[in-house]
Amino acid sequence: MDLSYRKRLFILLLSICLLAGGGLLFKKLLVPKSFGVYGPYRADAIAEAALVPVRHGTNNSCFKCHPYEAKIHKKGLHQTISCESCHGTYADHVAEGKKIGTLPVKKEKEITTLCLKCHNTEIKARSEEVIKTVAMPNHLKDQKVKLTHNCNQCHHVHAPLKYIIRAKQITGLMEAGS
Amino acid sequence: MDAVHSPTAMLISNFVFPNDLHVHWSMMIVLYPYITGLVDGAFIIAALYYLFDVKSLKPVARFSLLFALAFLCCATLPLLLHLGRPERNFNMLLTPSPSSAMAGFGYIYAVSMGVLVFIVLFVYRPDLVELRATSKGWLQLLYRALTFDSIDLSKKALALDRKIIRFLVGIGIPIAVVLHGYVGFIFGGVKANPTWSTPLMPVIFLFSACVSGISAIILAYIVIRKVKGRSIDHACIKTCIKTLTLFFILAFTFEMLEVFSHSYLKSGYHHMVEGLLNGPLASSFWLWQVKICSVIPLFILGVMAMVTIKNYIYNFTAAVVSAILLLQVLIMRWNVVIGGQLMSKSARGYTQFHPEWFDKEGILAVIIVMTIPFIILFVLSKIFPFWAADSETNVK
Repeated sequence: MDLSYRKRLFILLLSICLLAGGGLLFKKLLVPKSFGVYGPYRADAIAEAALVPVRHGTNNSCFKCHPYEAKIHKKGLHQTISCESCHGTYADHVAEGKKIGTLPVKKEKEITTLCLKCHNTEIKARSEEVIKTVAMPNHLKDQKVKLTHNCNQCHHVHAPLKYIIRAKQITGLMEAGS
Repeated sequence: MDAVHSPTAMLISNFVFPNDLHVHWSMMIVLYPYITGLVDGAFIIAALYYLFDVKSLKPVARFSLLFALAFLCCATLPLLLHLGRPERNFNMLLTPSPSSAMAGFGYIYAVSMGVLVFIVLFVYRPDLVELRATSKGWLQLLYRALTFDSIDLSKKALALDRKIIRFLVGIGIPIAVVLHGYVGFIFGGVKANPTWSTPLMPVIFLFSACVSGISAIILAYIVIRKVKGRSIDHACIKTCIKTLTLFFILAFTFEMLEVFSHSYLKSGYHHMVEGLLNGPLASSFWLWQVKICSVIPLFILGVMAMVTIKNYIYNFTAAVVSAILLLQVLIMRWNVVIGGQLMSKSARGYTQFHPEWFDKEGILAVIIVMTIPFIILFVLSKIFPFWAADSETNVK
């Protein structure tokens, strides 16, 4: 092609404009149709999210079949804690009202590890007034128990102070009902 | 259980929210403003020559354009490495939202890349036309494409080129300023972080960007010319140092003004910012950024401006002061990005940052990311010659 330099530059400029226009067209093609109907997101995503099966239950879902644990849990300091936060997902245990699997039960050292997820002094998230935190093994030393003790040997996992209060009542260290 | 009792955990002071223990924006986010800053500063040098006719900068003008291009190619690399799903950045660009500051950066970046590429092509056109005549095979094909398949080097065509270059550099300056000012704005726009959330942030970032870019050009020019055994243009170095001095005075003054306004206004989270600068950042901010890498270079630059020094000592000092200032800007980015995240939203405690060697955003990754622009620069040097053929004639 025998074009003058000016003409070549004009073609270049035209190509840049075409490229930019093409980019806009490409953008239009790639943006999902339902985008922006309600806001800067895909409106279809709402319907799609609604189709995702529900995996979690509430504490009341668990209490229906576990009345004994329910009775203790509702009275204890852990009453606001979700069953699933320690035991696992509801959907792995129950489907359509029937038991489909057993949730793993924490044993021995696993229990201590689980408790320390919230009760470790190193987690400086909340004040002592909100959540009791301890440093291990100092807590065991302070309480004059063996360093091999697990948390659940003194604390009931559903109502942490259940045994402690009872023991104090029995030994007379604490007045009944306080 | 052992991890929480390790010395690492014990360094955390007071009252830190669990989601603030970990520094989420780590070293890749330190590199991001650093690399874009280098681009900006290098572009300023080129702009001074091509738009403001500062003739003494001729020896480094073309080189600084290529330097800017090599680093601009890698400007988004640290961001993409930081992301868990880097391919999703296209979603952000396809459906930009006014509430997404990052999408804006994507567009500004794309425009500045386009402008810079065309500046390089028009600046190099006479050389590329010559190289096209002497090259063969695929290289000739490449040169044909890069010269828009035209060998017209008539006076008229070159005059048109000069006009186009002036126009592109003219729009390139606001784009470059917006590009880096925007990086500062991205940090300044984080309302939740009291050290970042200040309108001074874009200004500080912009001036320190100019400092780092100009320093990089001075250092790279001196090192490459020395290694290649070629002469160094003293007038050029002198102009670069003068420009660097101006930008460094502005950058350092604004950095200190920010600290001063925090401590004078004693606004909301002042106690946290003060505690941060005098606690976890006492060494990296006051000792390294301010005393070693700012006060010392300021003194050296003052001496260079006021005392007559022999050329070779002046050039050597220029290289040293540039190296220190490159470090200053890197430390400044570190103190802003990492330092800003060391205080918890609880406004009561500070966390610690421990760089890892082999982490996705670790020290090795940083070294690799910083090496890539130099590899690109090397490849570019094979296509676009750094130095003009007549550059040896102006040498003193």
